[in-house]
Amino acid sequence: MRETWVVGAASNRYGKMVETAREAATRVSLQAILDAGLEPKQIGHTFVANCFGLAEHQAHVGPLINNGLGIPEVPSVTLESACSSSSAALHEAFVQVSGGFVDAALVVGAERLGQLDTLSATSHFAIAADYSFETKNGATFPGLYATLASAYRDAHHTKPEMFGSIAIKNHANAARNPHAHFQKEITMETYLASPMIASPLRLYDCCPFSDGAAAVVVAAKEIMRRPASEPLVVRASARAGAVTDMQDRPDLLGLPSTRLAAAKAFRQAHLEPKDIDFLEVHDCFTIAEVLALEDLGFVPRGTAARESEAGLTARDGKLPVNPSGGLKAKGHPVGATGAGQVVEIFEQVNGRAKGREVPRTQTALAHNVGATGGSCSVHIFSRR
Amino acid sequence: MRGLRCPSCGLVTATWSLACSRCGRPGLEEHELSDRGTVVAFTVLSVPGEEFLNDAPYAYVVVELDGGGRVTGWMPSVRSAHDLSIGDTVRFASSYKPGVQFTKIEPTGVG
Repeated sequence: MRETWVVGAASNRYGKMVETAREAATRVSLQAILDAGLEPKQIGHTFVANCFGLAEHQAHVGPLINNGLGIPEVPSVTLESACSSSSAALHEAFVQVSGGFVDAALVVGAERLGQLDTLSATSHFAIAADYSFETKNGATFPGLYATLASAYRDAHHTKPEMFGSIAIKNHANAARNPHAHFQKEITMETYLASPMIASPLRLYDCCPFSDGAAAVVVAAKEIMRRPASEPLVVRASARAGAVTDMQDRPDLLGLPSTRLAAAKAFRQAHLEPKDIDFLEVHDCFTIAEVLALEDLGFVPRGTAARESEAGLTARDGKLPVNPSGGLKAKGHPVGATGAGQVVEIFEQVNGRAKGREVPRTQTALAHNVGATGGSCSVHIFSRR
Repeated sequence: MRGLRCPSCGLVTATWSLACSRCGRPGLEEHELSDRGTVVAFTVLSVPGEEFLNDAPYAYVVVELDGGGRVTGWMPSVRSAHDLSIGDTVRFASSYKPGVQFTKIEPTGVG
């Protein structure tokens, strides 16, 4: 395998997009390619992540993006792995570049659901659950994570304030991130007073429906003589799956696909959790950040909510988590989310995360979950 | 309600499958599921999807059936998180909707 780098990254501001997912995807793609000091024609393959393109009556968007980049002859493919689509795309790009099939590949994720109302958006999200055995029985996406939260609360006797501290921390980080959907801090009073969406999840436990686009460029070390930005060395690119249905999981206190993907990733990278300086984890709901920290092996099971409240995961804590604001506050444009996590790591390493810098940036981990854990990606990056 | 049972490892599941999600063996047998069980996790939804638009608030529950297997379903009678606890016993209820519906088994005798 060839040493493979992330050499360029770009994101738009998450929130409501006026332009289409295709236009936004093309725009951030060009930015990421130029950020790398490359030209579009050096891209050998484009990997597009988009979950709900059909809400825009648009399938097969890859060739349209390539056309907009002036490289219509370059092959493209669209990948869908629910909320982990663009980390799945990154994995495929890594496979192609590290395997020597192409020298450079573009990974771009984009989503636009803002034109839908809450009801329609909730229903779109629920499609990624098991329709026959969950959605038809009353589940929604918040409902499924709320079910996990209820099991966690029952097993570990947590208090709402512990989850509130995660929401407050991620909002504070997002308030310093120009890409973020929410750029305002919240207080514990606001958190506790927010309405229940699916008990025990309050409104401020939940990520928003965001539009957004994010792109990263992956290239072989050997073609990057003079990278324009400080590259991220891809130390591990691992994916795993797990039983999707709540009703077939013997254990509701974690996501088995995270544990599997993390074990693979740490093995690939020859690293351990103690070697990681900061993380971007999949916090579609506050409970998801809690489960991620435990499943990735950073804290013992049952302790992440308490440790978060004690400040472990703050930007100036021992283990900064989601300095971008996370899905929770930076936003969750489904197909763009995984690539957006890597954009944050790239910006931290390149000194572009002004006002939200983490103290150490030698090694970072990105964790991206598909739906309620049917898929999971873990990537580990380090400086040269 | 009919489910499936793995003749190799004994896993009971209510989810459609051709092979066992635990041991990987193909060839599951039909299995009659118990009509009652215990709540292992639940939520009360205030914001439903399109198909449950007129039903909120209601509970969405994961139930461990007596005799094995877990099923998820909804409980229209539970309208507040205070009306249900993990460990409560429930049974299948007939429903006017296609999904699985549960109702609480109220304790009998002197409480």
